[in-house]
Formats: sequence, structure tokens, C-alpha cells
Amino acid sequence: MRRLVPAAAVFAVLLAAVAGGGCGARHGEPTPLPDFSAPFVFGRFEVPADNPLTRESVELGRLLFYDRRLSGNNTVSCSTCHQQRLAFTDGRRTGIGASGKPIAFNSMSLANLMWGPKHFFWDGRAPTLEAQAQVPIEHPDEMAEDMDRLVAELGADERYRNLFDAAYGGISAVAISRALASFQRTLISSNSRYDQFLRGEIELNAQEELGRKLFMAHPDVKVSLRGGNCIDCHSQFLTSGFSAGLDGFSNNGLDDEEQLKPGLQSVTGDPAHRGMFKVPTLRNIALTAPYMHDGRFATLEEVLHHYDGGIRKSSTLSPLIAEATNRDSESLDEISLHLSEAEQAAIIAFLNTLTDNDFVTADRFSDPFVRK
Amino acid sequence: MTRATNVAFLPLLAALLLTTTACSNKQEDAGIQSGSPDSAAAQRDVEAGQALVLLRGLPTLGTVHSVAIVELDPEAENFGAILQEFELPDLQLPLHHLYYSPNGRLYSTGLDPKCSLAEIGLSRNAEGSAVIDGVTCLDTQGQQVGEDIIWHSVNGKEYMFITFMGGTGVDQADGGSIGVFDPQSNAVIKIIEARKSKVAKGAPYLLYPHGISAYQDRMVVTSTIHPDLATGVGNEITVVDLNTFEPIQNIVIEDAKPVGFPSSPVELLFVRPSIVPGVAPAVLVNTMFGFETWKVPYDETTKSFGAPVKLYDGVKAGTGVPLEFYGNDTELFVSHSLPGIVKRYKLSGLPDLVPSGADIQTGPGAHHMIFYTSASGRKLIAVQNNLLNLGNAADNDPTDVDFIAKVNDHTITVHDLGSGERIAQVSFKDRYKKGVENVEGLFGSGFVHHH
Repeated sequence: MRRLVPAAAVFAVLLAAVAGGGCGARHGEPTPLPDFSAPFVFGRFEVPADNPLTRESVELGRLLFYDRRLSGNNTVSCSTCHQQRLAFTDGRRTGIGASGKPIAFNSMSLANLMWGPKHFFWDGRAPTLEAQAQVPIEHPDEMAEDMDRLVAELGADERYRNLFDAAYGGISAVAISRALASFQRTLISSNSRYDQFLRGEIELNAQEELGRKLFMAHPDVKVSLRGGNCIDCHSQFLTSGFSAGLDGFSNNGLDDEEQLKPGLQSVTGDPAHRGMFKVPTLRNIALTAPYMHDGRFATLEEVLHHYDGGIRKSSTLSPLIAEATNRDSESLDEISLHLSEAEQAAIIAFLNTLTDNDFVTADRFSDPFVRK
Repeated sequence: MTRATNVAFLPLLAALLLTTTACSNKQEDAGIQSGSPDSAAAQRDVEAGQALVLLRGLPTLGTVHSVAIVELDPEAENFGAILQEFELPDLQLPLHHLYYSPNGRLYSTGLDPKCSLAEIGLSRNAEGSAVIDGVTCLDTQGQQVGEDIIWHSVNGKEYMFITFMGGTGVDQADGGSIGVFDPQSNAVIKIIEARKSKVAKGAPYLLYPHGISAYQDRMVVTSTIHPDLATGVGNEITVVDLNTFEPIQNIVIEDAKPVGFPSSPVELLFVRPSIVPGVAPAVLVNTMFGFETWKVPYDETTKSFGAPVKLYDGVKAGTGVPLEFYGNDTELFVSHSLPGIVKRYKLSGLPDLVPSGADIQTGPGAHHMIFYTSASGRKLIAVQNNLLNLGNAADNDPTDVDFIAKVNDHTITVHDLGSGERIAQVSFKDRYKKGVENVEGLFGSGFVHHH
């Protein structure tokens, strides 16, 4: 049931706007975000010129992210489906929001969102983080909130009025989206054991190192190069999909032709994109089960088995998957990496090095409403 | 090419310059069409034209050595601007070469004994802009005058190999070493050193190693010149067995002395299947004072090297001081300091040198280079035109005389990669009162390797 916003609250917002000289009047300039540093190897990122990362916008975004008032019935917040301890996923096959009904997709991890495909959601329907932020708020099964009503509700809270004023010169639906996007941009995971390895701070053990090498290699039987083929879709440092164009989307053989979901096609209208979904980051992958856009695999072992014999053929199946094999004499009808059990275990061992304990425990990303 | 201590090498350069200026300037016919913007332009990384540049302070001009990020996209309004600079006031001599490790760490070799090897910290700020966090000089256990770096796996273990032209002390007349480093911790694992005066007569030795390349369990290094540019000059390459980390063979790369000095092999490239699929392995060698490019065939079944074959004769072609090898997906590029050109060859034609287009006319001292695209998607090559990076006599610089200044243009020239047309240039001496010590790395994902 939608919670009604008292008329007094709406009046309070109007009064505040009038008293403050209207939207756009800030109490001083926002403060540049202090102590921010992103890994060089992650590559270039861009922050929208009209939504720079500032101390005020990030603080506000964090508050909003954890505030259940963002849902129509005040029962769920963004953090309901994106829990820090699970690398901002929820452990469910698909999320359950304000309506209590299962959502269509698995909750995506929110790590390193400034890099990778410049399209958000599994089907890429949001072109920016700002656009993405508003969708779940208004979705009837997710947060089921009306943006105008939300603006009024938050405007009745003096703390929010002050925060919005400092960050954006006033409260508005756009400012809500921008603040949420700003906070999400700071969710950088860069202190896993893999990161420490990249920085030269630690060594990986033999199994992890074998897994790393398999991860980074496309198999080539002609030169006896064994590979897990992961890097064809998951980039070397970010382990996310690639950012150029629609390179970060792929049909990884989950379904045969008849069962293919629309995926990216629902956004582009192009039949060639049917069954293609966003390639997710593998950062903290050990914490983000279940896997795939519909959460069909409960464990990483199931994921590896999928790539090692479970691939379903279809017209849009990634050719990089279709022709990848570590065996020279396979039947033409069979698509499989033909990894040994030890090799699969090694890849999983490497995937476990992507867990960033700092990321999932850092105070700066945590629920500000929880007293510690 | 390195200059580490003094200028006793000047007469040699004078002879060299006179020789090459007497050569013709014959150019090969152009056969390459201009590159054109492509559909990728709209999605181009705006950082693609930002180069990492090592700058050399010029003593009489009051400037200090530094690491800089420079905008080299000629379509950018701030073309030639230094976007970030990290100065190194404590170093008498500059950093020299730049290399990204396979894990994306940035290293530099150095000429100053205080910093023969360094790791350069890079990051990004909240605007996404590049930040040079710092330069950490690493312990080389006394090895001096760092030159080239390669990362190579031997029997399943990864190593970082570095040539030190000054070996364990530039006071040694026949010094030189290869440092074997742990690529994670940067710790020295072993110093490969075999001075001619210290090994048995006729035994393989190392001398002033500079260029380095490896294939399977064989590594090859050049013997170039003593860092003081006066004590001695080499004319061989040395083969190192990577199973034992010991030199096992010297191969002479010389058949003439156009300037009266040994050939001075400088950079080399082990052409191998990972560079050209299916290629017959061979080592290409540029001889700095022989003005030549040679091929040394390699039989991987017997692990034996064949007789060197001269592929390119600079005296006949009117070029001198060939230096670097760089490659992209389709071509191999070789810089010739005199008169200042970059020659280009088909990658598919290796290990032979099959021209792929007209020479790129750069500037005196043509040396290191980078490849990138402009904002509109135009494919570009930028070339550092500085051989020795000495100062200018006109500035009363004690490290300079006129004829050396002629092979030190102090510029980076930017050319269309397809046609070779010069589009723009930055004179670092005019604009920043500095010389260009090195440009062979881009900031971001455009990692450049040439070994």
C-alpha cells in the first residue's frame, strides 16, 4: 500500500523553496571529493560535467541509497537488493522488492561502475547511472515510488533539505538520481588479493596462478595454449565487460534458440542482439551467487560446468565461445572448453582472489542509519 | 641510446654525421594512402593521445628532469601541453626508457647511478584525470645505466630482465650486466655478468648490454657502447641460456666500419610466432655505427643460431644510426637517427624486411615512438627526435657542440600513420626548455612494448 505524504510536508517543501530563493541556490560551492584515488589500470572514466563527484553529493547519495523512504511503502531501499556484505547483491535468484513479487533479473553487483559497458541493467536499458538510478524507484515491483511524491517526502526532512541544498542547490527528482549515481560511482573495489597481486604486494599461490593464466588465455591447441577463455568477455584488470560500443554484451550460451530471452534486443530492437546480456564484473564473484542474469547457477562450479559442456547453441551465441576449446579432436557438434577438473578448480581459486574484504566492510559504503 | 657521463664520444659523432650527410636522401616510393577517420572515432578514448614522456632538463636553461603526461593529439586545443609533470630535481641524469609490465605497472630505467631503475606510480583523481603519484627508485644491487626491460617466462616462472650498460660499475672498461628481477617484489634474483677480462679466453661474455629479447629458453642481448661513450664499443650479440642464466655464445654482427668504429649493435628483436604467427624465428639487430640491420636465423629444434645476414645497408641507402624496433598489428617500424626517418616493413614479411610504405620523414635524432588515434579517429605515429639529448652550444651548455645539436631536434613530430605526412610537432626545447629523453608509452591502456 502506498504511503500518503502529508499535505503539510508538500507545503513545507514549497515554503523551503520559496524561502531559499528556489532550486539552484546552493549554500556555497560543493566540496571536491577528498582522498579519491582510482587505480590507473582500470582505465579512463568520465564523470558527467553536470554531476561532479563532491563530498556533498556522495554523502547525500549514500543516505538515499539506504533510506527506505525511497520506496512507496517505505519497506525497501536500494540496499535491500544491493547489500554491501554481498558486494551489493542480495543472494537471491532474482530480487524481491516492494510488491513482494520476484523481479525479472538477478540483482547486479555495484562495483566499479565507472568502467565497463556504458549501459546499465542486464539488458542495458539505462545509458547512464543517473538514468539507472530512477528506474527501480518507479518500478512497481521494485520500489514503487512516485518521484514527485518522493521529492515532497524528502523535502519535509530538514536534514535532506540541507543536504540537497548543499549538493545540488535544492531537491528534485533529477538531484535524487544524481546523488544516487554519485554514491554508486564511489563504489570502487580495488583491494582484492588480485589487486594486491597486480600492485606487486603479494604472490598468488600455484593454483591461483594457474587459474589466472587460464582466465587470461583464449585456448589455442595449435600452440598448446590452454585457456579458460574468460578474458574474451571479462577484461584483464576490471574483469568486467568491455566498454566499447556494445562489446560488453554477449550471449554466453545459456539457452537454445527457442528459449532465448530478448536481452539487449529489447533495447536496440536488433534481432542480432537477442539473448545477449551485459557481461558483469567478476569482482567479489564468490560473494555474489547465484549467477547469470536469471540467477540460474547456484555455485561457481555450476558456472564452470556450463562453460565446459553446457553451452546451448543459438544464432547469436558468441563466436568466441563457440570456437573455444582445449581439445584438438572434438566433434564439430560439441561446444566445450574441455578443461580438466583441476583447471576448473584453479579458475575458481583465481575467482576467489577477486574478493575484496575492504569493499564489503568499508564504513564509507555502509548503512549510515545503523548505529555502530 | 644512452649518454651517461661525458662527451668524449664527440669525434665519433662528427665522423658519423659527415658520413651520413654525404649520403643521398633517396626515398622509397609512397604506396600508402592516408588514414581516414573511422566509425570508432565517436567512441574514441579522449585519453588516447596522451603520452608519457621522459623529459631531460637542459643545464644552462635551468630546467630539471621529469616525467610528464603530454597531450599529443594534434586535434586537441591544448596540443603539446604538459598535463601532468613530476620533476626529479635530485637526479643529475634523467630517466631513460619506459615500460609497462604485463600487470600494468610502469617502470623506467635510468641513467643516474642513484636511480638506474624506478617504478612510477600512476592513478586517477575524482575527475578521472591522470595523476603521476611518484617515482620510486629501486635497488639494483649496484647495477648502473639501466636500458631495456623485458618480462619473460622461463620454465613456468615469470622474470623481469633488465640490461645495465654500465654493469656493476661504469668504471669497469668491459662491464655490463643483465639484472634478473622478481616481477612482483622487484627484488634482484641474480646478476648475469661475464666480463671479457674475467672469463676464460674464448669463453662467452657480456659487454655493454642494451637491446634484449627472448624466445623460449634463449635470450639475446647486444653489446653496444661503454656508457662514457669513449672507453669501448661492441660489435656482437650475446646468447644467454635461460635454463642456467649463463652466456653461451657471442655472434659478431659486423662486416664494415663506415665511421671507423665497431658496429655497436643497439636494439634487437627476437622475431617469434607470438609476433608473427608461423614465422621462422630469427633475431633482427640494428647496428648503431654499422648503419645496418641484420638477421640472425634461429633453429628452435637444435637451439642453434645461423650465420648473420645483412638485410639493410644504411651507407647505401643514405641513412645512419638505426636505433629502435616498434610494431603494430601489421607493420614493423625502425627509426634511423640520420637523417631522421622511420622505415616501415610488413609484419607478415618478417624476419626479412619487406617495405610496407614510404619512409616517414621525422627529424634529426629519430628515436622512440608511439602509435595512437586522434579525436577524429585518424591513425597517428609520434616520434621523438633526439639522439643523445645534449644541450645547445648557443646556450653555453658545456654538454653540447653544434654538430650534436644537429641530431637533437628536441622535438616530437606527429605524422599520419598511413601517409607519413607530418601533421604537427612540439619543440620541447623552445616550449619547455627541456629535451625529450623518451616517448614510448601512452597513459591508459595503450601499452607499448618493443621487444
